[in-house]
Amino acid sequence: MMNILLLMFTAILVENFIFAKFYGCCPFLGVSEKPDTALGMGMAVTFVMTVSGGVTWFVYRFLLEPFHLEYLKTVAFILVIAALVQFIEMFLRRFVPALYSALGIYLPLITTNCAVLSSALLIVQNNYNFIEAVAFGFSAALGFTLAITVFAGLRARMNAADPPRAFKGFPLTLIAAGLLAMAFSCFSGVHL
Amino acid sequence: MKPTDVLIPVLIFAGMGILFGVILAVAARVFAVKKDARAEQIAEVLPGANCGGCGFSGCAAFAEAVVRGDAPANGCRAGGAACAAKIGEILGMEVTAATPVRAIVRCSGGAGHANLKYHYEGAADCLAAERMSGGDKMCATGCIGLGTCVAACRYDALHIVEGQAVVDADKCVGCGACASVCPKHLIELIPADAKYCVMCRSPEPGALTRKQCSAGCIGCKICEKQCPTGAISVNGCIAAIDYTKCTSCGACAAKCPRKIIREL
Amino acid sequence: MNKFLKQMKEGILDQNPTLVQLLGMCPTLATTTSVENAFGMGMAATVVLIFSNIFISLLRKFIPKQVRIAAYIVIISGFVTAVELLMQAYFYSLYQSLGLFIPLIVVNCIILARAEAFASKNPVLPSAVDGLAMGLGFTFALVILGSVREILGNGTWLGLRVLPESYPNMVIFLLPAGAFLTLGCVIAAVQKIRNTVEDRARLKEAMAKKAPAETKAKEDPAQ
Repeated sequence: MMNILLLMFTAILVENFIFAKFYGCCPFLGVSEKPDTALGMGMAVTFVMTVSGGVTWFVYRFLLEPFHLEYLKTVAFILVIAALVQFIEMFLRRFVPALYSALGIYLPLITTNCAVLSSALLIVQNNYNFIEAVAFGFSAALGFTLAITVFAGLRARMNAADPPRAFKGFPLTLIAAGLLAMAFSCFSGVHL
Repeated sequence: MKPTDVLIPVLIFAGMGILFGVILAVAARVFAVKKDARAEQIAEVLPGANCGGCGFSGCAAFAEAVVRGDAPANGCRAGGAACAAKIGEILGMEVTAATPVRAIVRCSGGAGHANLKYHYEGAADCLAAERMSGGDKMCATGCIGLGTCVAACRYDALHIVEGQAVVDADKCVGCGACASVCPKHLIELIPADAKYCVMCRSPEPGALTRKQCSAGCIGCKICEKQCPTGAISVNGCIAAIDYTKCTSCGACAAKCPRKIIREL
Repeated sequence: MNKFLKQMKEGILDQNPTLVQLLGMCPTLATTTSVENAFGMGMAATVVLIFSNIFISLLRKFIPKQVRIAAYIVIISGFVTAVELLMQAYFYSLYQSLGLFIPLIVVNCIILARAEAFASKNPVLPSAVDGLAMGLGFTFALVILGSVREILGNGTWLGLRVLPESYPNMVIFLLPAGAFLTLGCVIAAVQKIRNTVEDRARLKEAMAKKAPAETKAKEDPAQ
């Protein structure tokens, strides 16, 4: 139990997907204009990453390993993720329309979110068991959600600022992200 | 290299592809959501600007609400009579258009009329300026003129002219998006065919208004006396026109000593 | 031939995928700690881009529209796996330092964006050139970023010492925070250049408009 909690803490803060690992920077920089859309994106990613963590673990353990096809894991995982995202989209639209209307527009974007694929690959690399795999997928996504929501709050305030013309827009966003990354880097001193 | 080295991966991946394909195809069938075709048809005839003037989160949401009966068929202000008629056709019923309205900024304090109490140098946003003791104008109801409403308008109908927001009546569709963001609640929706409007909202007594602005309503009640149909009333030193009674005769505007009842 | 040169210029400068189109941020930020890593990443992505563009262009008439994204991703991931295995065999140290970011080329938005926007609509040869141009543009941006970060963070360029030994290495540039800051400043510099070019063009246009008006005004009194 303890090691699961430690793993989750590490995945959320110490090795934050955005600020320490750079997984999922595209949606992080793209969908963080408004706090509520950022939260929606974060929740959609959390949902998909938790489920895909478990599913890709099964695919790897019972389909790829027995036939010594580990070298094809990238292809297999991206197939699983693409199919899974589409399946989740249809499932939600039918059974949880409220959640679908909240997350729907972000779901197609998630297929090409590298956070999902990298969490699947990291699970294999670190040899996690099934529970660890799901916990890792969930908490890494939680770290992503934390980062993107905090950053969206920052950006909402930054919109009122009046920077030099060359820094307007994307550069200013990146520099704010840099400052936030500095704040998060203090967690890297935590040894567990 | 044995042939199985190639064959097994090919078979496994083909199997995976077919499996996922079948699952998704079945899921598409099983999870198919019955959508009312009429909602989609209605969404197509709507302007599609998602302005929110109808009170729903967007054009698609409004279309669904109309089909459910939760929204009136003429609820789209931006689309106007033509849109309402098309929706009526889709639903198979008679629809009369709602009275078209337009937005108006009820202030004349631009072009240096309004006196300032301090020099504002903050973010170019009315909401931000409003927090700094209600903006830089001495008048508590005057237009701040930093264009929060301009940014809210999806039809390019609002512009800042000489330090004050002005509505372009030709472009305004009356969605009310600007009215809901104005921190001064200065923007009102009036009938689109209204000819005259009191371009001030300062409820202060005349003497105080004179100090604050050279173009404010002083509550002299001349317009009230001039109006033949009793459409104008002065409450708390500010004139207001009741458009249900107004006949657009123009008597009020002709006699207004401050020239703030204006022909539009 | 001219057309291809123009395409190359577009990919490397005018439409640089990283600095102008702002695509593929994850590898840009993560792998630019040194020039060597940056160059390796750029080249790996370029190879994948060229081959995936060629294949998608070849198959563009056979892939049904509804499943095209899935099909593109599978094609791309096939080439990524091939590149990954090749790097493991011949550039092992680079393979180790790039780590997970080699398989992550699959989800690099530049590659999917080019597949969707260019290769699926154009014949094979232009698609291949487009892949090369965009890949080189990506590599170019990565090398610039890697140079800044390696020189400031470690005092070296491609492993060669360029700043004196006494230079206190600013490690912040090698940390994640430094990646964001450097990229922000580089893109700001690019925007500055673009702004200046645009302003100049506008000025020229305004002058050109004004000039005939002035000559007209001069002529008028004569009439």
